[in-house]
Amino acid sequence: MSLKSVHSSPAPLQVPAEPVLPASTPRLAALEPAAAAAQAGGELWAGLHLPDLANEEKLRSLAAVLQGFTPRVSLEPPDGVVLEVRGSLHLFAGVEGTRRRLLAACADLAQPAVLSFAPTPLAALAAARAGRSLTVLSHAQLTGQLSSLPLSVLRWPQPLVERLARTGVRTVGAALRLPRAGFARRFGAGQLASLDALTASTRVVRRLFQPRERFRRRRELSCELTNHEWLLNAFMPLLQELEQFLRARASGVMQLECHLLHREAPATCCVLNLAAPGGAAAQLAALLRVRLETIVLPGPVRALELRAVTLLPRASRAQALWQPGEHGGSPGSEAHELIERLRARLGEDALHGLTVLAGHRPERTWARSTPPAVSAPAGTAPVQMSSGPRPLWLLPQPQPLEVRAGQPQRDGALTLLSEPERIESGWWDGGDIARDYYTACDAHGVRLWVFRERHAPHGWFLHGIFG
Amino acid sequence: MNAGAAAAAAPAYAELHCLSNFTFLRGASHPHELVHQAVALGYRALALTDECSVAGVVRAHMAAREQPLKLLIGAEFRLTCGLKFAALAINRQGYAQLCRLITRARRAAVKGEYRLSRADLGDAALSECFILWLPGRVVQAEEAQWLVARFGQRLRLAAELLREGGDAARLRELTRLGAQHRVALVACGDVHMHVRARRPLQDALTAIRCGVPVAAAGARLYPNGERYLREPQRLERLYPQELLAESVRVAEACHFSLDELRYEYPRELVPPGHTAASYLRELTEAGARWRWPAGVPAGERRALEHELALIAELSYEAYFLTVHDIVAWARSRAILCQGRGSAANSRVCYCLGITSVDPQRGAALLFERFISKERNEPPDIDIDFEHERREEVLQYVYAKYGRERAALAATVIMYRPRSALRDLGKVFGLSVAESGKLAKVMQWWDGSAAMSERMRAAGFDISAPWLRRLLPLAQELVAHPGFPRHLSQHVGGFVIAAGLLEDLVPVENAAMPERTVVQWDKDDLNDLGLLKVDLLALGMLSALRRAFDLVNAYRGTSHSLGTLTAEDPRVYDMICAADTVGVFQIESRAQMAMLPRLKPRCYYDLVIEVAIVRPGPIQGDMVHPYLRRRMGQEQVEYPGEEVREVLHRTLGVPLFQEQVMQIAIVAAGFTPGEADALRRAMGAWKRTGGLDAFRERLLVGMAQKGYPAEFAERIYRQMLGFGDYGFPESHALSFALLVYDSAWLKHYEPAAFCCALLNSQPMGFYAPAQLVRDARAHGVEVRAVDACVSEWDSTLERGEDGEPVLRLGLRLVKSLTAAGVQRLRAARAARAFASVQDLSARAGLHRDDLEALAAAGAFASLSGNRHLAFWEVAGTERELPLRFADTAGTLAREGRPLLPLPTEGQGIVADYAALGLTLGRHPLALLRPRLAAAALLPARELKAAANGSRVRTAGIVLMRQRPGTASGVTFLTLEDESGQVNVIVWERIGREQRPALLESRLLEVHGELQQQEGVCHLIAHRLIDRSALLGDLLTRSRDFH
Repeated sequence: MSLKSVHSSPAPLQVPAEPVLPASTPRLAALEPAAAAAQAGGELWAGLHLPDLANEEKLRSLAAVLQGFTPRVSLEPPDGVVLEVRGSLHLFAGVEGTRRRLLAACADLAQPAVLSFAPTPLAALAAARAGRSLTVLSHAQLTGQLSSLPLSVLRWPQPLVERLARTGVRTVGAALRLPRAGFARRFGAGQLASLDALTASTRVVRRLFQPRERFRRRRELSCELTNHEWLLNAFMPLLQELEQFLRARASGVMQLECHLLHREAPATCCVLNLAAPGGAAAQLAALLRVRLETIVLPGPVRALELRAVTLLPRASRAQALWQPGEHGGSPGSEAHELIERLRARLGEDALHGLTVLAGHRPERTWARSTPPAVSAPAGTAPVQMSSGPRPLWLLPQPQPLEVRAGQPQRDGALTLLSEPERIESGWWDGGDIARDYYTACDAHGVRLWVFRERHAPHGWFLHGIFG
Repeated sequence: MNAGAAAAAAPAYAELHCLSNFTFLRGASHPHELVHQAVALGYRALALTDECSVAGVVRAHMAAREQPLKLLIGAEFRLTCGLKFAALAINRQGYAQLCRLITRARRAAVKGEYRLSRADLGDAALSECFILWLPGRVVQAEEAQWLVARFGQRLRLAAELLREGGDAARLRELTRLGAQHRVALVACGDVHMHVRARRPLQDALTAIRCGVPVAAAGARLYPNGERYLREPQRLERLYPQELLAESVRVAEACHFSLDELRYEYPRELVPPGHTAASYLRELTEAGARWRWPAGVPAGERRALEHELALIAELSYEAYFLTVHDIVAWARSRAILCQGRGSAANSRVCYCLGITSVDPQRGAALLFERFISKERNEPPDIDIDFEHERREEVLQYVYAKYGRERAALAATVIMYRPRSALRDLGKVFGLSVAESGKLAKVMQWWDGSAAMSERMRAAGFDISAPWLRRLLPLAQELVAHPGFPRHLSQHVGGFVIAAGLLEDLVPVENAAMPERTVVQWDKDDLNDLGLLKVDLLALGMLSALRRAFDLVNAYRGTSHSLGTLTAEDPRVYDMICAADTVGVFQIESRAQMAMLPRLKPRCYYDLVIEVAIVRPGPIQGDMVHPYLRRRMGQEQVEYPGEEVREVLHRTLGVPLFQEQVMQIAIVAAGFTPGEADALRRAMGAWKRTGGLDAFRERLLVGMAQKGYPAEFAERIYRQMLGFGDYGFPESHALSFALLVYDSAWLKHYEPAAFCCALLNSQPMGFYAPAQLVRDARAHGVEVRAVDACVSEWDSTLERGEDGEPVLRLGLRLVKSLTAAGVQRLRAARAARAFASVQDLSARAGLHRDDLEALAAAGAFASLSGNRHLAFWEVAGTERELPLRFADTAGTLAREGRPLLPLPTEGQGIVADYAALGLTLGRHPLALLRPRLAAAALLPARELKAAANGSRVRTAGIVLMRQRPGTASGVTFLTLEDESGQVNVIVWERIGREQRPALLESRLLEVHGELQQQEGVCHLIAHRLIDRSALLGDLLTRSRDFH
């Protein structure tokens, strides 16, 4: 039995590969090799400013496309990307050609963009942020071209920008004219460094863009299977690999897609939902087992695939010292697992919790709640609502009682055993009631809970039965 | 069978446990509603037992006065241990004990709460009260033992059968307990409302109290609506006869009425060997010699004797002595003060120095106008103090009489449409923001009747079920007199007693530390004839004191209130020209528009001027007749002989509140008592709508005496106007003195006057920018704020020509701390500053303070322009820990930076931002070329344009006003470099061009010019927001309603 994995792009099905990662070598963070700076002609950076970009997800997908131009792509969240293009210029018909293609790539993603070229990444980006489409090819022109840009393009903290504005310094040029030592002493060495980065007096190490990780594994079976137990066993190595994959990244999943591929029929997919981010193979296997038992397969299975799209950070799972219920051990994980299992088996709607509600109207003293809430919400601790008796069995709807000679009837006249308990409440939600409740006894000696409406026509109703 | 017979047939019952809505957010009925319902049901008696409070008893007492119902006074308490009982006063002593206990419990807790434990109930406490034990659901036998031991025969066990199931068992348990401890049972109802229909409101109040939506209030709501005043026939079916009879026996054993309260004035002000009368005479005689050094004129002597006789007859000596003592103390501390109000304008008060209204300077005034034998109401004197020093006076009163004897009157805060909607919104589960939105549909002037209409207009679906349930509750909360929400403190009404105040009325803590309030408001005090002195704060007195101090220091004079040359024609010339920016009372736009027409030439004209620009005279259509008669365009005539006496001072036109009341007496045959009821109704008719009864009485009365119906209608309309803001002559007389003094200072000492106003901010109608601009227009040289020279306050410097020069103070600098200024001045006193670094190092200023100074341009003499100042400030900051480092060397090495020069516009913007004013050019002067290109006229040219001409102008919006009397008209004041323009925006134009009207800072107006009797107005046709031209010039309009 061999394990194979699938590349995320539309690639041949059986390509042996690592877990899905970008083309570059996997390491903690891929960094710009400093040596690359010393190329002939120096660097040329394209800075893209995307003013309408709202989320980082879109920025990442754009960056993935831009990696088609050069591997040296760097994100400037939330709304910018820089890429070093000197080495690629000859491939794309010079600066103008590169400009057209980059803008076209943005247009494909429906993103309006401003693009500038400059010898330093920050200068290119700053010009783009100012809405200028500059092309500065040499360092000599750089300072002159930048000087009219407003200081805001550097994205310094607002209080700092305001302090500078009060000295009359509102443009990049005015800032560059200030004495270096005096500037650093007043406004911080970091700001001086960013001015230097703008004009390339110093080089800043940039973090390169990496696409996000996800888990997707496929296993071709050596023979077609129909037996649930065997299928589960066949999934097991995939689940174990997932567990390792997640543990290495301190992540967990809340949703896992398990695909079963058939020769003829479309693939069967079952989705496992977890109550909390998890990833233990045993836990997942137990859930999968329950699910598989409820599935009717359209045919034999020839391949399996496991997909975890969204990885979530997970706190390390230390085991509690005490078992649940023992010395005050919390009922946490086991309760979650039980709920997960019951929901997997019985369906999402089959399970609900019970909540006690404070209120005087008998029919509104309890409510269903979604699990895992099994206790009353805070602040509604059970209170003794009434001194009057309450039946164990409350009817879902009060049943009208026949009245003869002013006496309520149920298989004959009822005998009222108690004084009235008056309940008047609920005017605020249209369910206003005004009733006098009595304990009554019917001809068979059954004790009933009945009431009489306080408003005309003063009907009698049966609302509950005592044990 | 009539109602009386029904009541007679009913079993006798007295409700002994009843809460009103003065048990805030519990009780759901007004005291008077409870009283009237109890009367209708034929109750023998009703005890009002609000929780640790007697705040509602005066209202109940007034309602029960003429009724066949005995009112008992009591209160309910819950001790910290959980024990709950109600106490009922058996007699006067029992009432005092009750008040003392409430005081003790309230003073031990924060405002609005109380704290009482068993230890607080000593042997003597409540020895003259009945105690009703109110056991909880689970009866604690231990409580019974304690109560029996403490209260013995006066203890009763309250049986409250509320049909919550188990009444019979409860009654059996209580009966057994009563037998065991030999305590009689008594029937009680735990009443929270007068009729059961208030159940939804009671539930809603409970939800508000608990801070939860009613749907989530659960068990905190009562299970049913039985806590109302139940019909005796129902009670007969619930309770054994004996328990009902016991309630009547208890009620009959109580015989205290609030009518027994006798107020006594403080006695200690009378020195040994004197009676109050002889001491008042001695003080008055001494004052008379001071006021009339050449001897008291015969007429004044007669009047003085007459007043003293009247005061003696009514025993008001102690009141005058009390007021005199406070005023004398304030004067000894050089705190300016002045009395006003009905009794203040007497010769006695003039002699005692309470006022400076020279009886001969005004019209001859009859003392009876101010103190009336028939009306039997306490004399009324309000004293105004410098607003910054009133607290000293309050603390003096507390210190002199003690907190046991002096406290502020309460103000009952009632539900208003907005607060009702906000609270009820939350009851129905709206979020804080949503209920805020709901509340905002109501403007504060909207009556409750408009509620559903406003909701609809604001886009709420008023057919939605929750709104249909909410609105009636809101109506109930705000319906007259409004559900009380909490007690607050009166602005300055002090109650001072001879004995312990807490024997009369409980005292509780106010929200402000060091303040205590009694549980009654001013109407309650009035109803019971208790004395109150109003100690109020007035900003203009602070400004006048400062101005006198500045002038006296500069010129060596000794001016003070009332010592300035009287009736100076040049002062009146200035007033007639409406050159009155900063002058007390007559500086507003409306007053300035009136001055050139009324042309005041003497003190009494100022009295009229103060009172005439008010809703009363305006709505009563009295202003134009008065002006016409004054200008001789109309014959002065009187509609009848009786009113000639009343109206001759005002040329036959009633302008003052007192005149309206007097006309009611002399022309419509009102008794003085009725006239007084009318006066109170005038203050409250908007809430009550209760003037209709008087209208009928007035019109009929005047018709009988032969007055034309049209005159009677006019008087009635004026009463309606006074409802908004009645202005009495007795107050105008005192105010007019301050008008004259402030006008005199403005005319002769404009630098000192402006300086004093600047140092007394915030006060008055104008911001510092306008005050300084006006002073410069009057030739005052004004010097900029300078860290090397300026003090905290603005000051006077000696100018080259010997005239004072105004130096702006550091207090004008925004976000500069007083502590920083203190260190700055200390460091400066040691040695003059050499540089910003030197200043920063020696004064140890925080960077925020340095930046505030740099922003204000206060470093100009040290560092040059603002940009350089900020550069230096930014450089000094990090030097602070290294004070001895070679700062100068570091800076020299850094070199002088190449900073852009600030433009004039930037300087002006920075001035406004940091100081709120500029000594540079007006911002519109910079924009003038562009404005001129758009054919927009400056204010000065506008004033020269012809009446009726179509003109265009633009100016910075200084003020927006929307007076209630002007039916939707908005008045704007625009300012440019040449002056101000008053713009009138009619309601339709305002509605159509609302955003431009409300949001513009720079507004372009096209309209028609109205020139009338020297007053120029622009009637707006078109409004255009030009704020963008200002850039980020920071100007903000002062908006008034």
